[in-house]
Amino acid sequence: MENGVRRWLVNISQWNPSELQFASLVSLFPLDDRRVITRYLRFDDRKRALVSRLLQYSLVHEVLGIPIDKIIIRRTVEGKPYLNSNTIFPFPNFNFNVSHHGDYVGIASEPLCLVGLDIVSITIPEQTTDLEFINNFSSYLTALEWENITVAGTSEERLAEFYRYWCLKEAFVKAIGAGLSYGLQRLEFHHTNWTNISVYIDGVESRDWKFSLSKIDESHLMSVARGLPHKAHEQCCSDWSILPDIGFTLRTVEQLIPNVSQKA
Amino acid sequence: MASITGTAVQVSFRLPRQSLQVSNGFSGLKSVTFSRQRKSFSSIQLQRAPMRSQISCAAKPETLDKVCGIVKKQLALSEDTSVTGKSTFAELGADSLDTVEIVMGFEEEFGISVEEDSAQHIQTVQDAADLIEDLVEKKCAA
Repeated sequence: MENGVRRWLVNISQWNPSELQFASLVSLFPLDDRRVITRYLRFDDRKRALVSRLLQYSLVHEVLGIPIDKIIIRRTVEGKPYLNSNTIFPFPNFNFNVSHHGDYVGIASEPLCLVGLDIVSITIPEQTTDLEFINNFSSYLTALEWENITVAGTSEERLAEFYRYWCLKEAFVKAIGAGLSYGLQRLEFHHTNWTNISVYIDGVESRDWKFSLSKIDESHLMSVARGLPHKAHEQCCSDWSILPDIGFTLRTVEQLIPNVSQKA
Repeated sequence: MASITGTAVQVSFRLPRQSLQVSNGFSGLKSVTFSRQRKSFSSIQLQRAPMRSQISCAAKPETLDKVCGIVKKQLALSEDTSVTGKSTFAELGADSLDTVEIVMGFEEEFGISVEEDSAQHIQTVQDAADLIEDLVEKKCAA
């Protein structure tokens, strides 16, 4: 039975379309999307933008059965995409989130919880030391997080620790649809070896949020944030044990194209 | 409502109507509409004083150049890549990590401090240059 939960990943470094193939894929999307995709300066950014939309439309089509040409995806003021529809969904709060960085583009959907996804491509800073680099972001970290980063060990370990915190914070703000102006330093992440991850917001532990953090490969991390909407407390769904998380499935662009090529 | 900061406002009723239409590319035109109703108006000579309105002055070319330089460096774009005032940070491929670093680059280069609230409204390179000039002017005026 369809439960509305998806976790898909695409490795775009393995997709190398010709200009013609790329252009014909772009033409499958609405005008606004086409404009946005083609405005990106670098081809890699265009690829990411296209695959992001491919994932969104594919997912909505597969989960909700809406014909491709009836799918309208809008963005909030802060830029979070959402499905604009008059249909009554079987799911009370269906929402999804995409992320891309480096070689990967991913999407996560949830039927009830607010979901946020962040993918981080770990790059070693060239011009500065790791601590100088991380220091640029110090105002977005709490004192405890900063402390944990500095004692993490080698330069690579410190960087990885920083990126883990950053990835989690981003997943959270993306779930709630806010931007950098949210104040990432208000969030403090606690964990046991990066499992059982919880967030303290303004110093208070939140029971409404769960996080997962995993390594995609040696240089990519990803985090999924799931938040219970307030109404969930009144309904039956405040028990996290009935809202298990699932792992990611690797999809290829070729697998996704047939979904969006169909016309009603 | 456009408020006039800095030097004192001189009300001048003797300015001919035509001069109110003078455009020097300054946002003063917007305030002219207000002043017709309110009869308080800075004379042309005072238009150098910074005025708060919704449209800020366009930044100097040198500022824009420096901004483009910082952005290109952070995003590892080659020197001959075309980055103009109209380029948006999004289309240049800046993600949240890049954004933080770019803003730090501005703060270091121009000796200013950028509030997160103002940073979130920056869409284009021109927006960034305009904000920077605004902050530099305020700093010099302080």
